[in-house]
Amino acid sequence: MSRAKLQGLGIDLPMFPITSVGSFPKPDFLVKARADFASNMIRRGALEKAERQATEFWIRKQEELGVDVLVDGEMYRGDMVAYFAENLAGFEEGGLVRSYGNRYYHKPIITDEVHWDEPITLEWWKYARGVASKPLKGMLTGPYTIMDWSFIEYYPDRRTACLALAKELRNEVEALIAEGAKIIQIDEPAISVRPEELPVAIEAMHIMTDGLPAYFISHICYGAFDGIYPAMLGLPADNFDLEMSNSGLDMLELFKHHSCTKDISFGVVDSHSHLIEDDSTVEQRLRQAVEVLPKEAIWVDPDCGLKTRTVDEAIAKMQAVVNAAKALRAVTSDK
Amino acid sequence: MELALCNHSSYPRIGDDPEHQLLRRTIAQYDKGEKTDDAVRAAQERMTELALAEQTEAGLDLVTDGQIRWSDPISHLAGKLSGVQLNGLLRFFDTNFYFRQPVVEGRPERTEPLLVEEFKFAQEKSARPVKAVMTGPYTLARFSVAGNGGPGSFEKTLEGYTTALAAEVAALAAAGAKVIQIEEPALLKHLDDFPRFEQCVSALAMNKDASQLALALYFGDPAPLYDQLQTLAVDILGLDFTCSPGLADRVASSGSARTLMLGLLDGRNTRLEDPDATTRLLEKIGRNAGSNRAYLSPSCGLEYLPRDRARQKLRQLAVIRNTFLGSPS
Repeated sequence: MSRAKLQGLGIDLPMFPITSVGSFPKPDFLVKARADFASNMIRRGALEKAERQATEFWIRKQEELGVDVLVDGEMYRGDMVAYFAENLAGFEEGGLVRSYGNRYYHKPIITDEVHWDEPITLEWWKYARGVASKPLKGMLTGPYTIMDWSFIEYYPDRRTACLALAKELRNEVEALIAEGAKIIQIDEPAISVRPEELPVAIEAMHIMTDGLPAYFISHICYGAFDGIYPAMLGLPADNFDLEMSNSGLDMLELFKHHSCTKDISFGVVDSHSHLIEDDSTVEQRLRQAVEVLPKEAIWVDPDCGLKTRTVDEAIAKMQAVVNAAKALRAVTSDK
Repeated sequence: MELALCNHSSYPRIGDDPEHQLLRRTIAQYDKGEKTDDAVRAAQERMTELALAEQTEAGLDLVTDGQIRWSDPISHLAGKLSGVQLNGLLRFFDTNFYFRQPVVEGRPERTEPLLVEEFKFAQEKSARPVKAVMTGPYTLARFSVAGNGGPGSFEKTLEGYTTALAAEVAALAAAGAKVIQIEEPALLKHLDDFPRFEQCVSALAMNKDASQLALALYFGDPAPLYDQLQTLAVDILGLDFTCSPGLADRVASSGSARTLMLGLLDGRNTRLEDPDATTRLLEKIGRNAGSNRAYLSPSCGLEYLPRDRARQKLRQLAVIRNTFLGSPS
């Protein structure tokens, strides 16, 4: 589908490109460093050293496994929304709210006009690229999700807040591209929750991406896709990175009824289960994808970020992803 | 119009102060085998007492136990019924809050009281009357999946939940609950299902005895159902005004045969409502409310807010009432 665009950007990928959604678990030494930093036992420099060490660990690990398009693993982030809220003007850190069970997070509050003052992820992207030998995705959380997962006090309504965020976050996209990023992923997991607001998310994505020379991926997960498909094809991204395994591949039925015009990063392992899927299960999921989608349009990855898994589980799940992609490459004529 | 103040349902179980971290800390230690069931129960009771105290301090006339013990609005009830297993996490409406989905393998059966002990504890510790709150059968059924699937499975699941919760209404009434609130946000996503919903409410109402039965609808616009809602066998109708720009006008023009619980303060946003603007809405609604009494409340449970902001919302209820009554706040 968009292989020509990728080739135009100087990126030549094999059939069934292997990638991951973004986050990996923090190794024990980084978990300890973060706890020590929170307790004022170490300085920021020591924490950042541990974050760089962990980033390099995951870059090396992805390359060892045979991943084609790498991520930095988000070792420097706590929460995908809070990280951007902490680095954009206009936000305050809110108190703790519960997400489920005994899990809580600090939900940001938009208390003033949002403003991008300087690059947020760029230094980490540059560091990771410096230790990587394969293409590396630029990664940021999208404006709709940041808006949806924040309290909005300053703006009169959700749309205004979302579009203001998009305008500012475009600066981050431009900064990544200026530094050489060719593939940029804009995570919008909240997009599938309020179908009536899909036009707002599409408008915001246009603000983020229009006229910019990159291959754009958008990660969307854990929502009611039947409420936003096929309208979601209006989202200006080249590739939808979708959670497929957790929902029993039911999105394939939607693709049968209305052809998908995007490349699909097809989630073949469940990111929120300790169970390591066996190779045949994962390969079968990918075979089902090939029955419905053009094989040239299929990328292969986990359902979602792997940060909630242990390091060993994340590696094992990525190995299963790699094995499935390689098995399918071997049985297709285009290798 | 007499304006009473009430909490809606949930209240944060955590805050940024160490005292408010007790339950989280205890459960985390319990998960590691370092604390007992009794320790978790004691932490739940302490946090319930704090929630009650903060509601009383804010000047509320009708409080809740804050649903401090609830893992989520669905599994806390469904998980106690026989014939129901709990499965993976699903998002609760369009919030960023998740619940465990019930899988109904047989007919849901109530084999023990679900909320009675929690209600009794809260009433014993509270200086104000405590409203008992339960998720309603329709919402439970909509968020459940029938293990056997097939035609009629939703109806059977709904019937099972309705029977179980009707028995709980009777038990709560016998325990002395003056107000029993049934939460049915799912109805607003299935407006055409009103006839079936009405049967559920009637079944619950038959068991309410001397209690007042409240129906709470939120996360959607109730205006299209407004006339039908007035026919339900409930005493109090709780409506979320934050999702419906035309609801205040609708109430003002049609009045209400039921006492209204006016969810005018947004339980999902930290921004505090302007007392003057809210008072203008109250005056509009009150001109033709059809009842001498109404409750002013948040639009939904307050657990979606950080504790400090939830507490501010409760205090804002009193500020708005004072503004409405024309006395200094």
